[in-house]
Amino acid sequence: MDFEPYREPFRPGPDLPDQRVVGTARVPNEQPRAAPPVPVKIIVAGGFGVGKTTTVGAISEISPLTTEAEMTLESVGVDDPGPASGKTTTTIAMDFGCVTIDRTLKLYLFGTPGQARFAFMWDDLIRGALGALVVVDTNRIDDCYPAVDYFERAGLPFVVGVNTFDGQLGYHLDEVRWALAVRDDVPVISFDARFRGSVRDALLVVLDQALDKAIKLKSY
Amino acid sequence: MRGPAGPDDPGRRPAAPGIRPFLQGQSGSRQFPPEPPARVDPQPTGEQTTALRPFVITSGRVDGPDPDIQMETQVTAHPGAAPARLPPEKRAIVTLCVEPLSVAEISARLRLHLGVTRILVGDLRAAGQLDVHVLDNDFPDPETIMRVIRGLRAIP
Repeated sequence: MDFEPYREPFRPGPDLPDQRVVGTARVPNEQPRAAPPVPVKIIVAGGFGVGKTTTVGAISEISPLTTEAEMTLESVGVDDPGPASGKTTTTIAMDFGCVTIDRTLKLYLFGTPGQARFAFMWDDLIRGALGALVVVDTNRIDDCYPAVDYFERAGLPFVVGVNTFDGQLGYHLDEVRWALAVRDDVPVISFDARFRGSVRDALLVVLDQALDKAIKLKSY
Repeated sequence: MRGPAGPDDPGRRPAAPGIRPFLQGQSGSRQFPPEPPARVDPQPTGEQTTALRPFVITSGRVDGPDPDIQMETQVTAHPGAAPARLPPEKRAIVTLCVEPLSVAEISARLRLHLGVTRILVGDLRAAGQLDVHVLDNDFPDPETIMRVIRGLRAIP
């Protein structure tokens, strides 16, 4: 009588990180779904045409996603683009960009319409926001009043960033601070919305303010 | 340091910076602008590519979306999602959310009004097609902010 010699049954080996063993087969594991990143956001606010979209675009890793609508005739009087402004449309929706900090953290930047009549959107927008950068054009400094008023009242850390168009400041930062009459702990800085490094530094000042608030909140 | 665009320059006439209006004239008591209207219905924009009016897409609803669903809220398709039988807008959202995506990005990529997107995402979440990753804390903790600071500093 011939007996088949005993043979070890085929074993495909131990489980591997991306494969598992089912019977004698190796099947790939379902890719564990990567947890979505934690989003944090900074608001970029300011008057009409002060360079909010430029600011977002300078640092965002995606080109800013925007909905722009033609400015209607009736809003021309409301949204005076100021002297020598070639801008014919105004952003009526959000423009936003993002910076991936790492796989688990993503910074979003939202440019909000600066006009007071869009203030209804801000209540929603500032929920959970780290802080705000209020972009100011010294030619039309009044334009940022609604945003400054709003963030002061809402208790959101904010920084006044004077956009140096053409690399020049129309006024001293002290004069801007005087005109805005913001609290002493609100930084008034100048930056150039066209350059990434400059925008990054302005955002770092906002984050500094946010960190102060977060530490205060935690110590309570 | 004053730039050349001074008050004498005929080309550029910077408006003199005045005190914020509500600070003028009154000492002490601060007045703030009137409360903004609570909400506004979605406005169709000229750029909108969808032929349907927003309230048609949302099945007639114009009421406020879930406050948990923010613009930066991350959304992913539920593992068992079956987008094939959904209406086109919802199907597009579920198909897009294979990768984690923020509500704002969904809105921009699909050219859907933000308010409409939020309502649809809320519906899809209730229908078990989408996972909406709601954050539980209102303000980020110091560690998170420090990570953002370090990440930004690393940008050249």
